[in-house]
Amino acid sequence: MARLLMFHGRECPHCKKMMPVIEQLEKETGVVFEKYEIWHDEKNADLMRSYKPVIAPKCGGQLRVPTFLNADTNDVICGEVGPDKLKAWTEKK
Amino acid sequence: MKKRYWRCNICNDVHYGIAPPELCPTCQALNAYVEITAEEARKFLGGGPDVTFTPEDFRQAIERFSSGNEFMVNPDAGKVGTLLQGVFENERNHGFKYCPCRLCTKDWEEDLKLVCPCNFKIHETYRGLPNGECWCGLFVRRT
Repeated sequence: MARLLMFHGRECPHCKKMMPVIEQLEKETGVVFEKYEIWHDEKNADLMRSYKPVIAPKCGGQLRVPTFLNADTNDVICGEVGPDKLKAWTEKK
Repeated sequence: MKKRYWRCNICNDVHYGIAPPELCPTCQALNAYVEITAEEARKFLGGGPDVTFTPEDFRQAIERFSSGNEFMVNPDAGKVGTLLQGVFENERNHGFKYCPCRLCTKDWEEDLKLVCPCNFKIHETYRGLPNGECWCGLFVRRT
């Protein structure tokens, strides 16, 4: 199973909105997202920074949240996304 | 071009930019700005009154900032409340009112682009879109 990461911020409303979508998807399909809060945990922030060359080109040149990263394929989704699109993304090889 | 510090020799307004303002916005004096050092600028600003903002003060400031512009503060008060909480948490923990929906890179110059309100009019989420908004959604295009 692919390693899926979600970077989010505690006070980011888009991230908050995505949380139930993620939980539902995890429940339905068995996929697991490693969730990293980036403003209140420096280790998580550094982890996201380590992926800057992969994330930034898909996120307006910046590190933005929410960001979804497939650490096996370096495929990235930046920003709020609907459940169907996210599900399709998790199924991509 | 590197930004430098300038001081109005009439009223001591301090300006940080590549060139001094021709007209002082405070005392209206013409050609009154002289270049000063960073240390002097810090002293002039540091000796001023201690202005502090609550999130509500900041909300009012960005309302005033928006009033003459093509954008406005998001009418969704809940979203604005969450964002301002994040902005203030970031100022407390990281030194600046950084956007809660982006992450600073530890490059000072680069990270200044994340200070709220940022230059969001260049963002792909705003530019040219009838319902454009800044990345975090604090500002939305006025309809």
